[in-house]
Amino acid sequence: MLKLLFLSLALTPAATLFTWNGAVAWPLFDGITLLFDLTPLAAFFMALLAIGAPFVALPMLRGKSDEPTYALYAVLLLGMQLLLLAGDFIGFFIGWEMMTWSSYLLLLRSPRIDLEGAQSYILFNLASAFLLLAGMLFLYSITDDFRIQAIDGLLTPDKWALFTLFGLAFLIKVGALPLHLWVPRSYDQAPDVFSAFLSALMSKMGIYGLMLLPLLFPDGLSEISGRFLNGPVAGYVLAWIGVITSIIATFKAIAQEDMKRLLAYSSIAQVGYIVTALGVGSSLAIGGALFQALVHTLVKLLLFITIAGIILQTGHRRFTDLGQLISRMPISFFGVLIGIIGLAGMPPLPGFAAKYLMYIGLIDAHWLLLLAALILSSTASFVYCYKLIYGPFLGHANSPEAKIATEAPWHYLVPQILLMGMLVALGIFPGWAIEVLIDPVLIGLGMTPIGAPAWSVLATSYGGYDGIAVMGVFATIFVLITALFFLGRGRMHRATSSYDLSFCGEVPTAATPLHYGAGMGRELRRVPLIGWILRHTTINFYSGLMHQTQATAGMIGTLYGSNPQVWILFAVLIFALTLTVQMLTGA
Amino acid sequence: MLHYFIDAFAMIGMSYFMGFLFYGFYRQFNARVQRRWGPSIFQNFFDNMKFLFKTETIIHGPMFFFGPMIIFAGAVTTVLFVPYLKDSIWLQGFSQSGNMILIVYLLVVGPLGNALAVGSSGNPFGVMGVTRGLTRLMGLEVPFLLGLALVMVQHETASVHAIMAAQPDFAHWNLVTNPLAFLVMILPFMASQHASPFDVVGAPVEVYAGPRVEFSGRLLGILMTQNMMMTVAKLVLIADLFLGGATTIWELIAKTFALFLLTAAISTSFPRLRTEQTVDFFWKIPLGLGVISVIATIWFPWS
Repeated sequence: MLKLLFLSLALTPAATLFTWNGAVAWPLFDGITLLFDLTPLAAFFMALLAIGAPFVALPMLRGKSDEPTYALYAVLLLGMQLLLLAGDFIGFFIGWEMMTWSSYLLLLRSPRIDLEGAQSYILFNLASAFLLLAGMLFLYSITDDFRIQAIDGLLTPDKWALFTLFGLAFLIKVGALPLHLWVPRSYDQAPDVFSAFLSALMSKMGIYGLMLLPLLFPDGLSEISGRFLNGPVAGYVLAWIGVITSIIATFKAIAQEDMKRLLAYSSIAQVGYIVTALGVGSSLAIGGALFQALVHTLVKLLLFITIAGIILQTGHRRFTDLGQLISRMPISFFGVLIGIIGLAGMPPLPGFAAKYLMYIGLIDAHWLLLLAALILSSTASFVYCYKLIYGPFLGHANSPEAKIATEAPWHYLVPQILLMGMLVALGIFPGWAIEVLIDPVLIGLGMTPIGAPAWSVLATSYGGYDGIAVMGVFATIFVLITALFFLGRGRMHRATSSYDLSFCGEVPTAATPLHYGAGMGRELRRVPLIGWILRHTTINFYSGLMHQTQATAGMIGTLYGSNPQVWILFAVLIFALTLTVQMLTGA
Repeated sequence: MLHYFIDAFAMIGMSYFMGFLFYGFYRQFNARVQRRWGPSIFQNFFDNMKFLFKTETIIHGPMFFFGPMIIFAGAVTTVLFVPYLKDSIWLQGFSQSGNMILIVYLLVVGPLGNALAVGSSGNPFGVMGVTRGLTRLMGLEVPFLLGLALVMVQHETASVHAIMAAQPDFAHWNLVTNPLAFLVMILPFMASQHASPFDVVGAPVEVYAGPRVEFSGRLLGILMTQNMMMTVAKLVLIADLFLGGATTIWELIAKTFALFLLTAAISTSFPRLRTEQTVDFFWKIPLGLGVISVIATIWFPWS
């Protein structure tokens, strides 16, 4: 009964999305009114929440009912809906705080959480909340208004201050480098299913916030500091932040030996692409960013839920301890397979449509160096995608549990199958997503819609592709060649044992270490750039920063010697300097 | 509908035919450079047929079997999305519903499918080969796509047809109008054809390692076939983009052969680099050149 109630609570975002009509104004004290409305932009993210919330809730229903978790999850959903509906910064901030605290308490309920993980989560997220608070109060101090709307007539320094405050607040949530420190820890230590929610949906709230910035500054980001080539300068900086985040996070992901940590770093990288595309700010790129947000939500839900199923069935989370689950967990295998194809952005799945729009957006803006960097991180992601499927499913079983594991329970499989279906359908009909989900947002933001001549066609001014043609040709050839192969002469034998390998002329035994899962990617360190990235950590960056600050402080400290005469000398000198400067400038 | 079928078969047949002849030529060319007689130019065809008609094939589970099917389907899909001729209704395949970025991505779909098969064989040396292949891909894809992106910026389209149509004569070939883009992508392009010095070691060496280490019989035949067809598709793509495309089949063969000869000449002259050396090379020389050409052709107003 309680479980049914919980499941229906998880459907509330969908209910809000479909039944919301008209704006609500709630007069508070002193003429301050809370506004709630479902803008097209918010509706897009509400749709993501509506898809994701029940899928995450379903696996949570397994076993004994856990009332506190259910209650916190409900508060979390409420907070996120509030944040999306808010038409002013007060409602937005309340929603943001509800989201932060309820997710923190949910995180604390994990048996694996340690002090460091919990602290970094709450500290970074509070920092984000306070930056947001500072931003909104600053906005109020200038405009006497909390509403989220276009602000005109600001001075350039004010714009920069607002942009930086809001930008930093949302970049922390997104996990941009070097503000990502909390992401791998919390995604790793959170309850296995809840990680899916953190990665797929909560990171999108940061993206939603970043997408409010063009709303605040009506000419996009370009009015903050002019334009560079075909895009805004401020966006160029944002785009580089996104792409550097994604490159470093991709290489870090390759080096991970734990499935959930790998996925956490991959989330940072994938959300980095979105930040890059947002920086371009053209309608193609924003369309790509939204598409990527959609695909990333589906893919990460699928992957985290599948991985949670594997961890549940085997009790292992490291690549070294798993292997050869393909025959024991076939549905999970397909879940991860579809997931990584989406993650890698391979046609014919929709990850490619998102990549295509983002690439075209960058080419259209003539930002080719960014494009090269984006391609680097997106190609490097193939390695961790392969690791993610090889480690658990292929190779040799490396632990007793992996040898006897069975398929995950239906609570995990139902979301997996539905998500796989959604991804394949989106791959065939990228034009549908453009027309139904993305174009309304672009129109809402006052941009040119991308448009789609047919549901299966993704069309841009740079050319497009037909999802049905790609999927159809590939599937037809695959069926034909398989049929021809079976019709042809000759027999096929299954190798008698899994040790029947070409192994340097020797016969390996069960004692031979044959599983390559943990070592994969280790040799990448020999490439100088990757080695350099992997040798450095963000913690070292912060401690380096601390040492530098201390050294600087120490140096400045030496100026304040114990000798009062030196102070007086300095005071006189500074006074004289100020006078000279004022005289020279004619003040 | 019938037109599509005949056209698709013609493209597949043409790629196969050109593929084994080019590789047969390569073997003989290589032999002559090494002062051997070398095999007949049809040797690759014979080898391929021998593999495809083997009676025994060992497999390691279902995924091991499906991997070569995926890579073959990927290769044929790539072939069918590259327009072979311009101003013609023949040898077009489905290229009207695709574009350049799609083709570049289709090139890697198959190999990733095959990587699953290699993984499911359980041979660590095979997986080592796959990792090397992916590492090298990471190196070559950046300058390769950057070179192509320079062309896309130049013509403001990603459609191969439109780019071909914009190069009516020699003076308008992208090789002439945008030589920097050609230089940026030519070496990565050679690497994408598995040519030395940028190749990943295959199975037939002393300590055999590499993606194909476990495949035998007809599956090896399939892998060989798709490799030949994929090579032709890549050559045609580059001929379309930089050498103005081709209006007749003979012109197409001449242009692709010229590109193949360039690759073969470099490949016979240089020994193989280690994978990390390859990656480092691509990120220094071609990518550095790419950065220079971006600055020269896009950032500065004289362009």
